[in-house]
Amino acid sequence: MPQDSLTAAQADVKGAEVGGAADNPKAALHLKLAKDQIEEAQKQIKDGDNEAAARTLDRAQADAELALSLAKEAKAQADAADANDQVGKLRKEIAK
Amino acid sequence: MKTHSLSALRATLPALLALGLASIVACGSAAVPQELMDARAAYANAAKGPAAELAPAQLDTAKTSLDVAQKSFDSDGPSQKTKDLAYVAERRAEIAAAEGSREKAERKRAAADKDFKSTQMEGLEKTKEQLDAERRAREAANQDVNKTKAELAAEKAARAEAEKRAAAALASLQEIAKVKEESRGVVITLSGSVLFATGKSDLLPIAKEKLDQVAKALVSQGFKAIVVQGYTDSRGSAADNQTLSLKRAQSVRDYLTTQQIPADKITAEGLGASKPVASNDSPEGRAENRRVEIVVTPDKG
Repeated sequence: MPQDSLTAAQADVKGAEVGGAADNPKAALHLKLAKDQIEEAQKQIKDGDNEAAARTLDRAQADAELALSLAKEAKAQADAADANDQVGKLRKEIAK
Repeated sequence: MKTHSLSALRATLPALLALGLASIVACGSAAVPQELMDARAAYANAAKGPAAELAPAQLDTAKTSLDVAQKSFDSDGPSQKTKDLAYVAERRAEIAAAEGSREKAERKRAAADKDFKSTQMEGLEKTKEQLDAERRAREAANQDVNKTKAELAAEKAARAEAEKRAAAALASLQEIAKVKEESRGVVITLSGSVLFATGKSDLLPIAKEKLDQVAKALVSQGFKAIVVQGYTDSRGSAADNQTLSLKRAQSVRDYLTTQQIPADKITAEGLGASKPVASNDSPEGRAENRRVEIVVTPDKG
């Protein structure tokens, strides 16, 4: 059971990295928390504390998912601002 | 039966009381862990943001997660499990908030993209209007050119018509009078016998008809100035001849002014027997010398 959770958490970390979490400070923080907690969970598994490991992995997964959401949010905000700029520039161009 | 159930109640009552007390003690004494407080705050924050409308499923997940953490706290107190659940609940709330904001931003972006397209269309429309205006201006300019061309053609036609009329007038004039071009101008010579009775200076009715034609020709051809010169033959005194020739010239001049020849452009002179055009020795010669010459200074050239 912890092995499945470990795999899921690792997949979420991967997804967050692909989603650009490293490029956004807040997302990067949660990405690091997720990785650290995966490491901790691996130790807990080694020590035979599967119950603690499962909870640590839940935390890791939540952080990884949050990292991805934050990265996507930042990108969407930047895109929106960009699109807004483009409209402004076009308006100016036409008004000439 | 009655006694039995009563005793059963008596037996369970303390247990129930003890349980109730225990839970009251647990709730009242145990401090809410920071993680749970953070989770509650995060959820409250997410719930009042765009997630409520734009990410309801994620917000619902966050609520469930918070409830689980709360229940854990209610039953276990501030255990590590409670803290872990609260930690996860806080992230779920933050995820809901982020998803709400993302959705909002994406809608904004979609609106901006739409705006961009419509603005582009607007720009195209404007450019098209400008091109249309330019085309219309060009067409108007072309029309002006065509109009000018038409005006020039009309003017040319009118000039040709006038020249034709003038030529016709000259031709008809030549039928009734001698017309000669000399250095002093165009000289129209009318025979005295056609215009006047012997010794008189009143115009004969036939003379008026001829002068009408002359006037018509002069008006249609245009002129700068006209001098009417009267001449006699050599018979009689020079003074009488001079007087008669002047009176006759004046008669012709006066009549012409009634036929649209402006009075300020036409003068009369009496030249008597001077400048004969034929011999005064024969009746034919003398008849030729009795004459009125209308000297026309042409309008141009």
